Amino acid sequence: MAKILEGPAMKLFNKWGIPVPNYVVIMDPERLLQLGEANKWLRDSKLVVKAHEAIGGRFKLGLVKIDLNLEEAYEAAKEMLGRQIGTAEIRQVIVAEMLEHDAEYYVSIAGNRDGAELLVSNKGGIDIEDNWDTVKRLQIPLDVTPTIEDLTKIASSAGFEGEVAERVAKIASRLILCFDNEDAQSIEINPLVIRNSDMRFAALDAVMNVDWDARFRHADWDFKPVSEIGRPFTEAEQQIMEIDARIKGSVKFVEVPGGEIALLTAGGGASVFYSDAVVARGGTIANYAEYSGDPSDWAVEALTETICQLPNIKHIIVGGAIANFTDVKATFSGIINGFRASKASGYLEGVKIWVRRGGPNENQGLAAIKKLADEGFDIHVYDRTMPMTDIVDLALKA
Amino acid sequence: MSILANKDTNVVIIGGVAGVNAAKRMAQFDFLVNRSLSVQAFVYPPESGQQKEIYRGGELNNISVYASLKEALQENPQINTALIYLGASRAAQSAVECLESENIKLVSMITEGVPEKDAKKLRAMAIKKGKMFNGPSSIGIMSAGECRLGVIGGEFKNLKLCNLYRAGSFGVLTKSGGLSNETMWLCAQNGNGVTSAVAIGGDSYPGTDFVTYLEMFEKDPETKAVVLVGEVGGTLEEEAAEWLGAEKRRIRLIAAIGGTCQEVLPQGMKFGHAGAKEGKKGLGSARSKINALREAGALVPDTFGGLSKAIKQVYDELLAEGSIKPEPMVDEAILPELPPKVQEIMKQGDVIVEPLIRTTISDDRGEEPRYVGYAASELCEKGYGIEDVLALLWNKKLPSREESEIIKRIVMISADHGPAVSGAFGAILGACAGIDMPQAVSAGMTMIGPRFGGAVTNAGKYFAHGVKEFPNDIPGFLTWMKQNVGPVPGIGHRVKSLKNPDKRVKYLVDYVQNQTTLHMPCLEYALEVEKVTTAKKDNLILNVDGTIGCILVDLDFPEQSLNGFFVLARTIGMIGHWIDQTSQQSRLIRLYDYLINYAVKDEREVPEKK
Repeated sequence: MAKILEGPAMKLFNKWGIPVPNYVVIMDPERLLQLGEANKWLRDSKLVVKAHEAIGGRFKLGLVKIDLNLEEAYEAAKEMLGRQIGTAEIRQVIVAEMLEHDAEYYVSIAGNRDGAELLVSNKGGIDIEDNWDTVKRLQIPLDVTPTIEDLTKIASSAGFEGEVAERVAKIASRLILCFDNEDAQSIEINPLVIRNSDMRFAALDAVMNVDWDARFRHADWDFKPVSEIGRPFTEAEQQIMEIDARIKGSVKFVEVPGGEIALLTAGGGASVFYSDAVVARGGTIANYAEYSGDPSDWAVEALTETICQLPNIKHIIVGGAIANFTDVKATFSGIINGFRASKASGYLEGVKIWVRRGGPNENQGLAAIKKLADEGFDIHVYDRTMPMTDIVDLALKA
Repeated sequence: MSILANKDTNVVIIGGVAGVNAAKRMAQFDFLVNRSLSVQAFVYPPESGQQKEIYRGGELNNISVYASLKEALQENPQINTALIYLGASRAAQSAVECLESENIKLVSMITEGVPEKDAKKLRAMAIKKGKMFNGPSSIGIMSAGECRLGVIGGEFKNLKLCNLYRAGSFGVLTKSGGLSNETMWLCAQNGNGVTSAVAIGGDSYPGTDFVTYLEMFEKDPETKAVVLVGEVGGTLEEEAAEWLGAEKRRIRLIAAIGGTCQEVLPQGMKFGHAGAKEGKKGLGSARSKINALREAGALVPDTFGGLSKAIKQVYDELLAEGSIKPEPMVDEAILPELPPKVQEIMKQGDVIVEPLIRTTISDDRGEEPRYVGYAASELCEKGYGIEDVLALLWNKKLPSREESEIIKRIVMISADHGPAVSGAFGAILGACAGIDMPQAVSAGMTMIGPRFGGAVTNAGKYFAHGVKEFPNDIPGFLTWMKQNVGPVPGIGHRVKSLKNPDKRVKYLVDYVQNQTTLHMPCLEYALEVEKVTTAKKDNLILNVDGTIGCILVDLDFPEQSLNGFFVLARTIGMIGHWIDQTSQQSRLIRLYDYLINYAVKDEREVPEKK
């Protein structure tokens, strides 16, 4: 799953013939004035300026400004760029033509197990939530391309009439092409607008998710996926992501500010159960983390150090199931090194460490980490006979 | 009994090194349950034609690697199952081929990061063809006592701990690979073990679903209960609940669902598995799955840790109602042990292996080479030079500063003697014929012998003999030499003489006698011999070989090492000649006719063969 920003999504729309308003993405307000000299639409149209970042609730934060002329758009861009929102800084803004329109529609497509589902409504924009029952759906089986007649029919059933219905069907057919060819997981156009005077359509806003695993067959994907957690990634998260991209196996890390229990857990499945156990027992997690697929010890070491630096943590859960092929001795040697380095740098003061793990070379791995107690670590080590998530219960009772 | 995989399962593994590792693990299981080797072929074009060595216990099997699935199946028609260990960009195409082939009924894919669209198509294709496509991202399938597909179950020791050598009564279904192993362990510890365990993979669109496998377990009389480990995302768990609730089922269902923590975490947060994401309006949430399963009658503890108790409870109930009999205790001692590697037994002191060779000079098993115990880097650090390393490796002791200065000078003055001598000329001939450095240098090296450079050893040897046996009797020594050896090695020169001395000899003797404090009995003896021989004939001087031989004997180098100084020194020169000729791009050397005296018979007719 990879959410992409509006700019790259618009670029893909353009590629597949889905009408979009004119737009530019800029990092420097002065560039907008230069672009104004080159592009008539920037001088003549009303403009909208939006922060081009993965930040939820942009409107409320004042990161969307509408109905501006070029001069005002320049001022708005200047004001937005460089603004600090939480941990994020606004680095890009998108300036688009604010198309005067007469109606707002809703068109979206999302993948499911058997293919994809197309959703169409003639009540788009902010009204869509209240008019969810007006949405008409068309299931598109795998490897089937709906005919323009099928699409016109669904458009008509959603209340579109005559030429508008045909045009909506046409746009839907291109949306399906774009979805299918770009390995998209979902695309939502809301609103799709129409200006009656010249029957001009445009997708004013786009939310698009692409399958990042398919990037090997998309030479023109020049964008990076953005954070889906309503805020940009932190520096620590980005560092772990960079390591993850380089190694065999994987390491993953997401910060959850304010939590007291840090997770240094193994396995995509087991790590979730550890998070659940913390929440179920009334604890608060400081992060989600996972390593799996027998990653190199240095990668696990980096993950360990990152986790040790989380503020105000009281416990670290070094948990995992009985591994199939991740070497416990090797990965634990990374964890042990990470703990040692962190302690030497002044971290882990008063932090209790709880360990439960099994798998290849489990005896050596567990024996090695147990020895940290001799170096002054507050560490509690359990083998496979301890039920997996019960170390969380022990930690929270301690 | 089991589902999906059994004793008749015969496997082709598609992929490289990861596939071979899986085959090794699978063969360990084959050994444990005493079945024939389950992996029959590999398909991996870059290594086609090779054979992979797979040990089943102590039995070594050579398994062929084929360039294509078609070839593999032609030669191994018994194959009915494929495991895919390729990278994400090639895995899907390979799975299509497997599903299209007549013989293969089950395809399991371990590959992670397969595009969703490809996975969806593979699922549809398998359904259409009435076959099973398990995965992507599946660690594999385990049928206790019968067949292991992939590395599921981990190391050999764990297979025993989880009682996987014989069937129990619990089926296991998971998305996660690690948790499939964990759950098998829980079933062994709190129950009587498993029949089959299937990891379906944690992707958004697995090729199979829980219901398909629940149906299979329902039809397998040995399976009395199924432990299902699911997680947030998708609707497979809800469908399983619906299946369970739809009618009275024979099997019991125990489930654990991961992802309830999402209720309090930032929306959209990503978990380890691609499929672990919540849909709109709570659909696919862990809570919805837990509720659905509980309502349908499944036993769902509130943490994973609670699974132990739940399994124990169901096991006790099954025992009480008599649908399973108490497990007779298996004596673990009757289970086979993997034959250990020789190194392991040696470590325990249970076997003696006579070493093939013995070394007394160097050892590089540590972090760096050690010469007679000294670390190479420490020698460098403390200011030792190449001459000291030479002395260590040839004579096993570190020379004094004066001694190493002499060694250095011997190598320096012997390094080269121009292109005309046999060794250099041999190397040059080689270089001009276009052959590589090691071969050309060895061509020169083969020249070293009795007439070229080989006199150092014998000179040292016989002068040392003289010092010992004829200390004050030079004429006696010369007589003995004449009777037993012939001309004294190290004495005599073709052009040099008393009046026209060899400058190298003069320098060396002068250096050793005047610049060092070393006692040089052999050299002094040779100089006394020279006085006698030059009195007879002007050119019977102590030559450079004799001088070097005597000095080295005085430095206590072993007799058999002496020629090494010439070999080493001249190697420097010959390498130089090779580089010189090659960088000039010298032409091939062929002797001109006028440099050859063709002393052969005149042209004549070949007689008829008799």
